[in-house]
Amino acid sequence: MDPGLLAQHVFNGLMLGVIYALVAVGFTLFFGVMDVIKFSHGDVVMLGAFTALAVAAGLTGMGVTSHPLMLLGMLVVALGLMAVVGALLARLLVLPLRGAPAINVLLITLMAGTVIREGVRLFYPQGSNPKPFPRLLPGGTVEIGSFTLRHDSAILFVIGVAAIVGVHLTLARTRLGLAIRAVAQDPETASAMGIPFTATVLATFAIGSALAALAGVVNGLYYSEISFNLGLLLGAIGFSAAVVGGLGNVYGAILGGFLFAALQTIGAVALPFASAYKDVFAFAAVIVLMALRPAGLLAERSAERV
Amino acid sequence: MTAPLLDARALVVRFGGVTALDGLDLSVHTGETVGLIGPNGSGKTTFFNALTGFVRVAGGRAQLAGADITGLEPRRIAAFGIARTFQRLRLLLDLSVFDNLMLGQHLTLDHGPWSSLFARGRFAAAVRGQADVARTLLAAFSPGLPARLFEPARALTMIDRRRVEICRALIREPALLLLDEPSAGMTPDETAELMTDLLAVKAQRPALTVVIIEHDMGVIERVSDRCVVLDYGRKLAEGSYAEVAADPVVRRAYLGED
Repeated sequence: MDPGLLAQHVFNGLMLGVIYALVAVGFTLFFGVMDVIKFSHGDVVMLGAFTALAVAAGLTGMGVTSHPLMLLGMLVVALGLMAVVGALLARLLVLPLRGAPAINVLLITLMAGTVIREGVRLFYPQGSNPKPFPRLLPGGTVEIGSFTLRHDSAILFVIGVAAIVGVHLTLARTRLGLAIRAVAQDPETASAMGIPFTATVLATFAIGSALAALAGVVNGLYYSEISFNLGLLLGAIGFSAAVVGGLGNVYGAILGGFLFAALQTIGAVALPFASAYKDVFAFAAVIVLMALRPAGLLAERSAERV
Repeated sequence: MTAPLLDARALVVRFGGVTALDGLDLSVHTGETVGLIGPNGSGKTTFFNALTGFVRVAGGRAQLAGADITGLEPRRIAAFGIARTFQRLRLLLDLSVFDNLMLGQHLTLDHGPWSSLFARGRFAAAVRGQADVARTLLAAFSPGLPARLFEPARALTMIDRRRVEICRALIREPALLLLDEPSAGMTPDETAELMTDLLAVKAQRPALTVVIIEHDMGVIERVSDRCVVLDYGRKLAEGSYAEVAADPVVRRAYLGED
């Protein structure tokens, strides 16, 4: 294959990988501290994107035209609001079910996700149609041979990687991060050390949901279009990535996100049939991976959890 | 005599129909080391769990330095200055030795969500200071431990894990240290070594108050100023090791003698 074209595919794959990793990290963080799967996570991604879209419309209505300013406003409101939504979902749906079978949390968050999804479809103006997402990033390109790097993609990639590095630093180097890791391993011992369980869980859900909002905004800016059901596929992909990486392991989730994107890219490029089958190929590969490594690539026991 | 540091009065803990603590009175003065002994199921660990908020107290009260700590959450009680170890060692094995010790410092290190998340510089400075404190403390228990500060706790031997757990409890300089069978799972030689280290650490901290649960009577004889014998969740006897060991009631209940 032409090296320029190959570089193009690799970059596209990395770009998707960042979005998937942002979603997968949330799944794995929630599992880490509460041992639950929160299935409304994909719909929080979608709600974050629609929040940003609403902010963009609002700012345009107020006469704000500066793209960096709009982008900043969208990110601040979407991430902040989703952090609150995530903490509320934890407070109202997940924490009260502590001690109940995990399947109950799975079911209740699945329903919460449906409520969010249908809520956006019904109450956002013409919510059932795909919405154009404003192109706010500089549209230029850099050509290196046959490799075309769009400025906006490069910026999104950097933003996504920065967020992932931020999560790593927060977990590894801060007091809150240590509290989250301690609660994930042994909530009782953590409490004997003076760590507040509920506050730590709420902070974890807030962080994971803010990352979901970021994934939603990056996704919108990358594809220039969002729809009320984008969380279904992104949620399934994020969940798969977290499981393939080893649930409870943040680095596994990141790895899983990039791996899934690589599989999709390979499915779209290297296979003889049309790229429409890329998801089928990627999910099938995940099924095979799960059969070979049931505990995930970085199994929780051998690597540090959360 | 001055008021006791720890004052437990008529503590009652029930598990379903079983009364694990049945109106236990126990007080400990500042600087004392009290050995808590008794047959399995006599309520020793339950007493620790009641003091640290791990089980619900059904009756009575516990005070630390005059403040009522009965029925508070574990994290609140920790803030009053009680630190403990666990019989079934509870280090966080996937974390490094240092992270475990930092957890012990959670209450005193850099408060507030802002400094938790953003003030990395200050946190890092505090961490560097703490690394020195941690190394000094670890060195008191084993000269080889400070070098392993950033290894995962899982990589340590049983006795080193036990040492680190005790350091984790000690590092925030608690007023009251509760040690739940520190010799469990160790050889007699290892136990003797651990007790020597413990006595040395205690000698440097005259105000540190210790309650230690032990099955090994040699340990109790060596480290404790006073012994309390529990049986069926009640205090069976109290006094110096020699007094308690000679007590016929204790010999019958605990040593199984007729």
